[in-house]
Amino acid sequence: MRSEKSTISVQTMAGYGVAAVAAVLVLYPMFFLLQASLDVGDPQARPPTAYGFDNFNGIFQYPQILLNTLTVSVAATVMALVFGFIMAWILTRTNVPGRDLFEQLMAVPYYLTPLLGALAWSLLGSPESGFINQIWRALGGSNHLIDINTAYGIAWVMALFEGSVAFVMIAAVMKSMDPSLEEASQIIGASRLRTMLRVTLPLVLPGVLGAAIFVFAEMLGSFAAALVLGLPSRYYVITTAMYQMVQQYPPKVQIAAAMGVSLFAVMFFMLFLYRRIVMAGSYVTITGKAFRPRVTDVGKLRYVFFGICLLYLFAAVGLPLATLLYASLQKIAVAFPAAGNWTLENFRIAVTMNAVRSALTNSLLLGLGTATLGVVLMGLLAWLIYRSPLRGRGLIEYVVMFPQAVPRLVFAFGLMWAWVVFPIPIYGTLWLLLIAYLTVFLPLGVRTIAGVMLQIDKSLEECAQMCGASWAFRIRTVTIPLLVPGLIAAWLLLFIASIRELGASILLMGPHSKVITPSIVESWFGTSSELTAALAVIQTLVVAIAMIVLVTVTRRVGARPVE
Amino acid sequence: MPASPPQGPPPTSLPTPHIQVDRLELYYGSVPAVRGVSFDVLPGEQLTLLGPSGCGKTTTLRAIAGLEQPTAGEIRIDGIPVYSSARGINIRAEKRGLSMVFQSYAIWPHMTVFENVAYGLRVRGAGAAEITERVHHALDLVQMRSFAARRAAQLSGGQQQRVALARAFVFSPSVLLFDEPLSNLDAKLRADMRIELRALQHRLGITSVYVTHDLEEALAMSDRIVVMRDGLIAQTGTPDEIYRLPNSAFVADFVGSANLIHGRHRADLDVDGLIALETSAGQIVYGMAYGRPVGTELCVSVRTIHLQMSKDPPHAVQNVWHVRVEQTVFQGDFTQVHLDWGTQRLIARGAAVEALASGQEVYITVEPRHVVVLEG
Repeated sequence: MRSEKSTISVQTMAGYGVAAVAAVLVLYPMFFLLQASLDVGDPQARPPTAYGFDNFNGIFQYPQILLNTLTVSVAATVMALVFGFIMAWILTRTNVPGRDLFEQLMAVPYYLTPLLGALAWSLLGSPESGFINQIWRALGGSNHLIDINTAYGIAWVMALFEGSVAFVMIAAVMKSMDPSLEEASQIIGASRLRTMLRVTLPLVLPGVLGAAIFVFAEMLGSFAAALVLGLPSRYYVITTAMYQMVQQYPPKVQIAAAMGVSLFAVMFFMLFLYRRIVMAGSYVTITGKAFRPRVTDVGKLRYVFFGICLLYLFAAVGLPLATLLYASLQKIAVAFPAAGNWTLENFRIAVTMNAVRSALTNSLLLGLGTATLGVVLMGLLAWLIYRSPLRGRGLIEYVVMFPQAVPRLVFAFGLMWAWVVFPIPIYGTLWLLLIAYLTVFLPLGVRTIAGVMLQIDKSLEECAQMCGASWAFRIRTVTIPLLVPGLIAAWLLLFIASIRELGASILLMGPHSKVITPSIVESWFGTSSELTAALAVIQTLVVAIAMIVLVTVTRRVGARPVE
Repeated sequence: MPASPPQGPPPTSLPTPHIQVDRLELYYGSVPAVRGVSFDVLPGEQLTLLGPSGCGKTTTLRAIAGLEQPTAGEIRIDGIPVYSSARGINIRAEKRGLSMVFQSYAIWPHMTVFENVAYGLRVRGAGAAEITERVHHALDLVQMRSFAARRAAQLSGGQQQRVALARAFVFSPSVLLFDEPLSNLDAKLRADMRIELRALQHRLGITSVYVTHDLEEALAMSDRIVVMRDGLIAQTGTPDEIYRLPNSAFVADFVGSANLIHGRHRADLDVDGLIALETSAGQIVYGMAYGRPVGTELCVSVRTIHLQMSKDPPHAVQNVWHVRVEQTVFQGDFTQVHLDWGTQRLIARGAAVEALASGQEVYITVEPRHVVVLEG
C-alpha cells in the first residue's frame, strides 16, 4: 500500500514542525542575548551599530561582585554537600528510626523554594528585628546573635534548600551500590576501615563529586535568596547585579548581557562536566538493580541520628513555615507579641487588594495555560525524542534541555530583548510570560513525560497493532491511557513551577501583567513584612494542594515525579 | 519414451504455502540482520525459527508481522504480497490479518483480563454478545476463565502468558506468530506450557511461526524447523531430520550435543555404501553420507547419545575402539563421560547407574548410520 509512505511523511513533517517550535522558543532569545552582549555601539540604537568584546572586559570592573558570587556559591555548596552526605548516609546505611518517612520528607525542602526560605530566615535573623536576635537580647545578650544579611546568611538559606538536591543524588549512589562489593572486601580479610577507604569511598565519590558540581552550578545562577537577603546590605552577586543593572536608569543592558552570557558559559561547562562525571562513574549504577543497602546497627547512636534528621527538616521546613504563618497573623511581627497583636487583617488585605488579587489570578491563569499547553507540546517532544524514528532527534533533545543550563533571569533577559522588537506587541503582557514559562520549563516537562513514556514497553503498542488496531485506535486505547498518569504528573509539576516562578517573571512582567511571586518580592521591599508573609502563606497553600494531588496520583501508579 | 513435459507448474500434491518468505533482507543502517532468507510455511503447519541470539530469527518474524520494514525481498500471505521491495508494497501490520504472542507478554496493565482478550474483537466491531461468548471460550481454552475480571498486575508470569495467548487467537487470525513466548517462564512451567501450546495449536489448526533459541522447545513443538545463523538459513527440515542428520558442524553442535571428528576420506576403504574416514591419529571411522557430496577432507558428527560404552569387547567389527575414561560428570538422568581417544577427546552419555571411574579402560562403538558426514 503506497499510502504508508504519505502517512510517514505527514508524521515526519508534524515532527519537524514541533521541533521547530521548540527551537524557536529556545534559540530566538539566546540569539538576542548574545547580540546584546556583543553590542558596543549606542545603547539606544537597535540593531547594534558596533560589535566587540568590550562588555566582557567591563565585567572585571566589578571584581567585588565576582568575589561575592564565588564566596556564596562555595560556602553554600560545601554546606549543602555536608547536609546531603550526612543525611544520605544516615538514611541509607544506618537503622535510624523512621527511615522511610524521613526519606520522603527530604524532598520537601526543595518544594519550599529559596524565596520562602529567605523571607522566613530574614524574619528570624535580620540583625535588628530578627526574632532570634530579639530573643537573644531579651535573654541579656547584646547587639545581635546572627546576621542573615551576609554572604553566609545567603549561603545558609541556599544550603538548606540545595541540601535536599545533594541528598537525592548521593543517596541514589549509596543505594545503588551492591553491598556484595563491600562484603567481598571483608571476606578477603580487609578491616572495616580499609573496606571503607578502598571500596566504599571510591564507589561513592563520583556521586558526591557530581552532586558538588551540580549544586555549585545551580548556586551560580541562584537569584531569590541573594535578592531578599543581599539587597538590604547592598551585597550583590552576579544575578542580583544583573537585575539591578537592567532596572536602574539608565540601564546598563550590554554589560548585564555580557554577565549573563559569561554565567551561562560557566554553568554550561559545569553541567557538561557533571554529565561526564556521572557517565564515567556509571559503573556504580549500571545494573539498575534495586539492592537492599547494607544497614549498620548503630546502637544508641540511632537516636542522635534521629535528632540530626529532625533538626535539618526543622531548619529547612518547619521553622520557616511556622515563622511565615506566625508573622502573617500579627499586626507587627515581633518575637513576643501582645494579646492584641494577633490579626487576620493581612489575609483580608491580601485577597481584597486589587494588585494582589490580579497577581494571584494572573498566576493561576498562567499556571493553567502553561501546564495545559506545556503537556501537549512537551508530550509531543518527548514522543519525538524517545519514541519516533525521526532523524536528528538527538539534536532536538539538546535544544530542549538547553534552558536547564541557563539561569532563568539570564534567559528572561534574552526573552525581554527579543520580544521587545517582535512585530506583535506582546511585551508586558501575560502572553510573553506564557512563552517564557513554556521555554524555561521545557526540560522539566519533557523529562517527566519521557520518564513515564520510557516505562511503557514498545510491545504494548505493537501488540495492539497485531490485533488489527489502526494508529488512531491504538493511541486512544493503549498509548494515552498508559500515559495519563505521567501527563497528570507533568501537568501538576508545570502548574506548581509556574506559580512559583520568580527569575523570569520579575524581568518580564508588565505593570498590568503582575504575577504572584515577584509581587511577593515587591511587597517585601515596598509594603509590610506581615502582608508579605500572608502572601507567601497563600502561595504555599496553593502549591501544597497541587503537591498533595500530585503525590496521590503518582503513588497510585507507582511513578515518581522528576525534577 | 513419453513426449516432452507440458509447460507450467509441475503437478504436485503439496498444498499452496500459506506464508512465503522470498530472499528477505533486512539491514539496520549498514548492519545486516537478515541477509537473504527464503522459506515457505504450509497451511496449518507449525514452523520454528531456531538459532542463537543475533541470528536474525526474531527480525525475520517481525518482518513477517510488519513490525520491521525489510530492505529487500518479498513476503506473501495466501499468495498475496504484503511486502515486496520490487513492487513497492508494504502493507501495515494491522492490515495483514496476523496475530502475535510477544516475549514480554505485552498484557495491557490498564485493562482487565477480559478486556485484554476482547481487544481484537472490539477492533473488528464485534457485538457485545459475540465478544462475551468468544472471550469466554478463549479463556476456557487457556484455563483462565475464572480470572476474567482481574487486572494484569495481579497475574503470575504463567497466567499472563495464557492471557496473551487467548488474546492472540480469539479473533481467529489466519496466522499466529510467537516471539520466544516461553523464555520468561521458569523451566518446569515452560515444559508444561510447551505441551499445552502444541495441543492448542493442533486443536485450532492454525498456521504458526514460532521463534526460539531453545532446542528442546523447537524439537517438541514443530512440524518443521528452520535453523538460522548470522542472518542466513543453516538448515531446514523436520525435527527428526535436523537432529539425526545435521548438515553442518554448526547445526550438529547447536542442535543437541555432538562429537565432531575431522579427517581424510579413504575412498579405498569405502565398503557397502559406507564412507571411510581416517583421522590424523590413524583411526578409521565408518559413516554415511546420506546423498551428500563427499570431498577429500571430511567432518563427521556423532551424537554423544550414540556412543555405546562397554567393559567387554562389542560384537561389531567397524567403529570399535578401546579407550581410557578421563573424567565422569554426574548429571542426574545420565552421566557424561569424557574419553581419551588418541588426539581428541570424545564425549559419551552413559546411564547414571553405570559406575565408571577415571582411568578405567572401556570399549566404545558407534553404528555407522549414526556417523553423519557433514556438508562442506
